Amino acid sequence: MDVNETAPPSDARAVVLVIDADKSFVKTCRQALEGEGYKIIVSPSGKQGLEAAKAEAPGVVLLDWKAADPSDIAGFDLLDELVDVNSDIVPVVATADATVDAAVEAMKMGVFDFLSKPVSPEKLLETVRQAVGISEMQREAETKEEKADKYDLLLEGLDVLGEAYSIGLEKRQFLDDLARLENVAKSNAASRGEAKTREEAIAEIHDDLLDADAIMWNYDFQKNALIQILLDVQEKFRWLPRHILNWISGRLNIPLKDILVIANFYEAFSTEPRGRHTIQVCTGTACHVRGATETLTRVSAALGIQPGETDAKQRFTLETVHCLGCCALAPVVQIGSQYYRDPSQSQLAKLINSLEGAGGAEEATTGKEA
Amino acid sequence: MSRIATPGDLVKLRDRLNAKRNAKATWLAVCAGTGCRACGAMALADKFEEEIEKRGIGDKVGVRRTGCHGLCERGPMVMVQPAGESYFGIHPENVPAVLDQVETGKGDVEQFRYLDEEGGKRVSKLSDVPFYKHQNRVLLENNLWGDASSIEDYIALGGYSALAKALTEMTPDAVLNEVKEAKLRGRGGGGFLAGRKWESVRKAEGEPKYVIVNADEGDPGAFMDGSLLEGTPHSVLEGLILGAYAIGAAEGFIYVRQEYPLARKHAQLAIDQAREYGLLGEDILGSNFSFDVKIHRGAGAFVSGESSALMSAIEGHVGEPRPKYVHTSEKGVWGKPSCLNNVETWANVPHIINKGAAWFKGMGTAESTGTKIFSLVGKVKNTGLVEVPMGITLRDIIFKIGGGVPAGKQFKAVQTGGPSGGVVPEALLDLPVDFDELTKVGSMMGSGGMIVMDTNTCMVDTARYYIRFLAHESCGKCVPCREGTRQMLNILDRIASGEGREDDLGLLEELAEFMQAASLCALGQSAPNPVASTLKYFRDEYEEHIREKRCRAGVCTALIAYEIDQSKCKSCGACQRACPAGAIDKGGKDGKVFTVVQEKCIKCGACFSACPDKFNAVTKVPALSIKR
Repeated sequence: MDVNETAPPSDARAVVLVIDADKSFVKTCRQALEGEGYKIIVSPSGKQGLEAAKAEAPGVVLLDWKAADPSDIAGFDLLDELVDVNSDIVPVVATADATVDAAVEAMKMGVFDFLSKPVSPEKLLETVRQAVGISEMQREAETKEEKADKYDLLLEGLDVLGEAYSIGLEKRQFLDDLARLENVAKSNAASRGEAKTREEAIAEIHDDLLDADAIMWNYDFQKNALIQILLDVQEKFRWLPRHILNWISGRLNIPLKDILVIANFYEAFSTEPRGRHTIQVCTGTACHVRGATETLTRVSAALGIQPGETDAKQRFTLETVHCLGCCALAPVVQIGSQYYRDPSQSQLAKLINSLEGAGGAEEATTGKEA
Repeated sequence: MSRIATPGDLVKLRDRLNAKRNAKATWLAVCAGTGCRACGAMALADKFEEEIEKRGIGDKVGVRRTGCHGLCERGPMVMVQPAGESYFGIHPENVPAVLDQVETGKGDVEQFRYLDEEGGKRVSKLSDVPFYKHQNRVLLENNLWGDASSIEDYIALGGYSALAKALTEMTPDAVLNEVKEAKLRGRGGGGFLAGRKWESVRKAEGEPKYVIVNADEGDPGAFMDGSLLEGTPHSVLEGLILGAYAIGAAEGFIYVRQEYPLARKHAQLAIDQAREYGLLGEDILGSNFSFDVKIHRGAGAFVSGESSALMSAIEGHVGEPRPKYVHTSEKGVWGKPSCLNNVETWANVPHIINKGAAWFKGMGTAESTGTKIFSLVGKVKNTGLVEVPMGITLRDIIFKIGGGVPAGKQFKAVQTGGPSGGVVPEALLDLPVDFDELTKVGSMMGSGGMIVMDTNTCMVDTARYYIRFLAHESCGKCVPCREGTRQMLNILDRIASGEGREDDLGLLEELAEFMQAASLCALGQSAPNPVASTLKYFRDEYEEHIREKRCRAGVCTALIAYEIDQSKCKSCGACQRACPAGAIDKGGKDGKVFTVVQEKCIKCGACFSACPDKFNAVTKVPALSIKR
């Protein structure tokens, strides 16, 4: 299910509570959301808002960070009370007083998004759609106990993302990363027979970032360990996903540009997704004089991809490598951790089929250990 | 295991370990170098252990997984120790036969002994195999006798005795002087005197000082350093510690090439073990000397093997060289004095300290002392790792040790020195191999890659191969190298595809001269060598490509075509099944025999290798003859 493309459901889940005395903002909300099937409940004060939250059980609440009336409950306190009433509510802040400090504070508290007024109707709709998506997922998780873990993960993920803003990562960057990940998921959907929801994508990013943190931890978050860190990331993910590079950039305080220069300079790194299996044809001198060029042409023809390419289904990546250090086997082809001396066409076909048939990366690691 | 606190403890431990080793009458040393592993050596070692347990002879027979034995061509191999009998091409199903032989002397193992083609006899002892007989193995000896991942084996074989000797009996100056006196020269290719380099780092101002092992062996077709580091990592480590002591360094790095996972694993294991045994870290052997080492993995860049580039990579930056008006010995890693030597250079140090400079100078020539390891590969019978005293002739290495080129072909040239070296033709094969002689004829000894070429190797293609490699690996920082390699590649591509021009050869020579004079680092300065040396000795081949559009070796694909001899084809279909491009059909004589559809042919040679030798119907012909 893709939240962006399905029409918002018309049942009670799509209730959006707007706690705001700002009439023009309320008008924008109605314009942007009611036509799309969302039910809008407006409360001009925090106190009324809390009542409404109890009575209507909205999935999403839009609130200002500052109250018009100083005696009214607002901001941090209001959020607290709202969560007490309904812990599943997804809060979105829209305020004219959008300071960085406020944004950081809000994000740390798990606010889904922090909008600066005036907000365009398009932006508002987009944000509410996402927030409703989260809210739906939370409810789903509640109704199905086995999904409870994922729900925790998501909240944890939002915490991590909140932390990311606090160390200077751009929110926009995260959304870009998310969109990219979703696109990848969509394009893979056909081949893998699965599609990711936005929530799953977030959970996945969250996992990735935790993994990246664990790797950086091993190097004490030292800047000069960047190459070693990237090598570990490459090994774990088989490539360097942009959202992880963004994350590392923020964590180590190294400009993304500098990381990309390193990623492009060294051959070990790939900034494009790689296949589940890497097929390396050695083109070291010893292999070259014993016919590696012909071997490469044959392997390339058998896989249907050129050296350096990955097939559309991300099964195989074909690489050339300068010397694997087993020149006696020249010309040699390495698949997974196994070496083959100049495999014939039928041998190649069998090998490729066995990898693909198993479909899993695990298969490639069995056999003779290298 | 507790720390070894004093040199005396080390001696006691060695005695204990040797007693343990001698408790078993027989050890089976299975070569577990990268080459033999690729042929299934690990499964073989497992099978030996399994079978030994099954027979209940575990108290008498043990298994060692050692470093590379050298004769990769005949792997997987096993050596019975201490007797020295060796068996080649052993697979798990042959294990019972070998164990029968070990137990009763009546195993069916004759077929696995080395067959000496000249004498036509089987040779049982490793030391009698011609490949080994003419070598002088000093550094590689541990690869035969010790488990590659065991510090205990290394210590039992005398390991760390040089360190103990240095720390108790010698001042840092004395260690430095011994290395200077031995005239040890850097094995990475440059041949700079290691002692002199050490001295300048020692004298340079700035603390801390660093010592670094360069294991970024990037020359394609060379695997000496990788094999040393994976086979006997402790000897490299011991050399490094000795160097640190002499220089006054407290921290070291081992920079390991990314393509050598096994070397990296064993180096890390060695560091961990040495720390545990108190041979690394604080107060080594109770001497007050402290030193520790970290591994830095390379990320795949040939130019990062250059000293200043390597140091830049250790700092976490792009591994690009920088101008050398400030030496890395004064300002290296993080601007501190740093001493970089390659794996083989460091591995020599413990031997020099143990046996003395005079012993070391007894091997090799006056200016190139000691032994040198070569990886002898390409069109040669005995592919493998070879350690010989410097000054031996190329002919001896290739023909006496390597056994010459495989039957039916003729020797054409040998390429030495990797991408920075050049080719040496038959006429110069009696040259002694050392740092200086090969340079005089336009090649260099380099780090030790030795690629043998026969008449089926095209010299234009060889030059093109290296230039393509260098154009790809040039970091692009300086113009002469970046543009020079690219333009050379353009010209060579043109010649190889039959579109060469008369003036191309002059242009190549002009470019070569310019690049040698103006490039920033050794990569660019030596980049033209493969072109210049092939032009010097095989100019006629270039001219053939240009004027006659002919590649006599049948390598340059644009100039050749595959054809099926209609009279020889027996319609077996092997070629058709092998062809990945569907370029073979039954369009020949009366539709009965096969032909190559030239428009579809991708020239991969699959049909050529698939056609049974008894028919030999698929042939390589000049492309021009087809177009007619």
